[in-house]
Amino acid sequence: MQRRSWAEPFKIKVVEHLRMTTRAERERAIVEAGYNTFLLRSDDVYIDLLTDSGTSAMSDRQWAGMMLGDEAYAGSANFYHLESAVREFYGYKHVIPTHQGRGAEHILSRSCIKPGDFVPGNMYFTTTRVHQELAGGQFVDVIIDQAHDPGSEFAFKGNVDLDKLARLIERVGARRIPYLALHATVNMAGGQPISMANAREVSALCRRHGIKVFLDATRAVENCYFIKTREPEYADRSLAEILRELCSYTDGCTMSGKKDCLVNIGGFLAVNDDDLADAARNMVVIYEGLHTYGGLAGRDMEAMAIGIHESVQYDHMHARIGQVQYLGEIIEREGVPIVRPIGGHGIFLNALEFLPNMPREQFPAQALAAALYVDSGVRAMERGAVSAGRDPETGKNSFPQLELVRLTIPRRVYTQAHMDVTAESVVALYQQRARIVGLRFTYEPKHLRFFQARFGPVEGDRVLRDQDPP
Amino acid sequence: MKTIIEPFRIKSVEPIRMTTQEQRETVLREAGFNLFLVRATDVIIDLLTDSGTGAMSSEQWAGIMRGDESYAGADSFYRFQERIRELTGFEHILPTHQGRASERILFELVGGPGKVIPNNTHFDTTRANVEHSGAAAVDLPIAEAADPACLHPFKGNMDVAALERLIADVGRERIPLVMVTITNNSGGGQPVSLENLRAVRAVCDRHGLPLFLDACRFAENAFLIKRREPGQAGRSVREIVLEMFGLADGATISAKKDGLANIGGLLLLRDETLLHRASNLLILTEGFITYGGLAGRDLEAMAQGFKEVVHEDYLAYRIRSVEYVGERLAAAGIPIMQPPGGHAIYIDAAALCPHIPREQFPGQAVVCGLYRIGGVRTVEIGSVMFGTETPPGSNRRDARSPARLELVRLAMPRRVYTQSHMDYVVEVCCELGSSRRELRGLRMVNEPPVLRHFTARFEEV
Repeated sequence: MQRRSWAEPFKIKVVEHLRMTTRAERERAIVEAGYNTFLLRSDDVYIDLLTDSGTSAMSDRQWAGMMLGDEAYAGSANFYHLESAVREFYGYKHVIPTHQGRGAEHILSRSCIKPGDFVPGNMYFTTTRVHQELAGGQFVDVIIDQAHDPGSEFAFKGNVDLDKLARLIERVGARRIPYLALHATVNMAGGQPISMANAREVSALCRRHGIKVFLDATRAVENCYFIKTREPEYADRSLAEILRELCSYTDGCTMSGKKDCLVNIGGFLAVNDDDLADAARNMVVIYEGLHTYGGLAGRDMEAMAIGIHESVQYDHMHARIGQVQYLGEIIEREGVPIVRPIGGHGIFLNALEFLPNMPREQFPAQALAAALYVDSGVRAMERGAVSAGRDPETGKNSFPQLELVRLTIPRRVYTQAHMDVTAESVVALYQQRARIVGLRFTYEPKHLRFFQARFGPVEGDRVLRDQDPP
Repeated sequence: MKTIIEPFRIKSVEPIRMTTQEQRETVLREAGFNLFLVRATDVIIDLLTDSGTGAMSSEQWAGIMRGDESYAGADSFYRFQERIRELTGFEHILPTHQGRASERILFELVGGPGKVIPNNTHFDTTRANVEHSGAAAVDLPIAEAADPACLHPFKGNMDVAALERLIADVGRERIPLVMVTITNNSGGGQPVSLENLRAVRAVCDRHGLPLFLDACRFAENAFLIKRREPGQAGRSVREIVLEMFGLADGATISAKKDGLANIGGLLLLRDETLLHRASNLLILTEGFITYGGLAGRDLEAMAQGFKEVVHEDYLAYRIRSVEYVGERLAAAGIPIMQPPGGHAIYIDAAALCPHIPREQFPGQAVVCGLYRIGGVRTVEIGSVMFGTETPPGSNRRDARSPARLELVRLAMPRRVYTQSHMDYVVEVCCELGSSRRELRGLRMVNEPPVLRHFTARFEEV
């Protein structure tokens, strides 16, 4: 028999208690939260799959590093450790720490984008796009069409469509494109990877036109795992080697260390260009902190440096992605519609197929996430029309092709039994899907509305009825 | 008893690496005579700042282990929120990764070209954030603040008459808010009296202006009020703190000072409209409203730190240990800013080195001298940091105007150094005092456009 288990390459050292809740308690909690899982108190949540960002468990070595924090305001030893880890594994010349990924995005957007510029990327990400827009740029989606098709089995659904990119360059001219934002993996597409071949071609095209390429390296190591397992010529290369090659096709990266780097807080901007690095250092001191701490405690830089070393270990990544696959396979076996193939950091339920009769104006993904919480205390996140927001020109709701609920798996936190409970709840809900009621806005913020929006059911006073409707 | 012993014992230590004078000479040259560019391992006693450099308590470390890292609605946030509400009386509390993020959000919302922000004295990052928004930062300290030897008990006070004049000159509609920094860091860590805060409040009320506090060192300020202000001795520090915050419509706080934390900040607001706009900006640039760009554990550390900092035994020890250094330096004839403030001793470099002209940065020369002699890292608060001060009421930056004072700040990290460390620092200062004629001025060879003191490089004249 072929051994396929993904048992964790670690044992548990510290635990955190969970509180069990009753259905009545959860029904009260979701009403208080305005049917928005972002607004639930974590104390009311049993299994928290809202995000894999900053929610991972650190290793004993990282905790030891926390005690080695050098909290000197300038020139902390931890900064030099972080700088050398980034240079060694990502290969960029200049490293500027930031308090988290959006700090790096903020600085990159402000330094590079001028009003009227276009910023192509392989699908938008919520905060990234707002930073680009606030700097006066316009995001242009150049991801391949398969990315928008939840059923497509293509192995690298995160790839950039080179024709779309070439057409954009032709239409607006390379001088109005300060850089291309290359996401690896692509979060909004379901954690889908890009191939090394695609990265190489994108880089060549951009370099021909003098356009810089900045990697969103947040989950780049997870992407490298897919390159290793799906792109034959990389099967025998180490994750560290693959990562260095991937980064070599780019001019720098923004990083949220809260994902791949296995920390609860921290990020960085890394670039090769000396002038850009100078400009970024002058800016980081205003927004984040002096360039040798970037708004982080010394201990957090130390934990990130150690986390980078741990993140490229094959055993770690095999177990990480193995756990995500495990959850996805159970759910899929029971016929629940999910985004295929299974991505790196979560399972994305296809709400349009899950709730085919619910109109899109009733936000099926938002309703499904709320109902899942009521059913079992599992907290997931809407990634569909609510996240996409309104069209800045027409003011109308954008309805992206993908209307998804993301079950995001924190790293090294939950066990196989937690995954089983989650799968059981999703499957049970699928069998009772006629009981789920659509939602409408009762409060809608202007920017990034998904974080703080409030909703109410379109009929009755519950999002999950006790019985099927007549 | 005269000895104020520390109201704690040591639970965890961090080794200090010793260096020789020759090694330090090389380090100094490599760092372009800017101590911000020196590696921490090359420093023996680090008095660069009291910001984020304090030692946390065992209770705070327990909080660190207890941190709830949920992205939204973490328990740690609610504990933090409860503690700050109790302490300040403010209902709306936004966490930020540190103080300058609170300032950035505030001034991005209320600042802008044509606006004028009065303050008793803006600190460096506050000034940078005000000016970055296009507004003008105007300092209105009382006249006594300019005289380092003057023994006024509340040299941090705002000049209330000057505030009235400014409002009359520029018009209230150009002033989005009045800010008071407690304690007044750039002015020597000097406290602001309750009487002065009440008077500023009355002016604000008369003109319908909101009053904001830059409240990084609110507890030290409150303790100095208790000590020095007539009629306040019988009140608890907690009561005084509540009254101070009660006078304000909002506050920015860096938790890296009186929060006794290594990272973290807060923005306190009363106005609901401003709160909504600040929340949106917070989410975009810092993090979701229940974590503000911090780990959950940092919220726990802050919650506990803000509780510990108002313990009066702690504050007595804190203020007394700063005074101790001040008394010994003054006794040895080193000119310092009098009376000693809450968090630091400020050496008057212009008085110590009259032979160095102000264009040659006497403060920076003293900073380099202290490092060379004893590996003590301090910071210049003078023409390097504030040499580009904006003249009142104008938005013009004149690169050649020197700062009001040429000071060298010896900032004391909280609960980190012992009395023996302080005795060593005093010896180093005395040695510098007796060899001060040998100190040479400096010339700036590389000047960054903003907050130049962090990354500028120098050469000896």
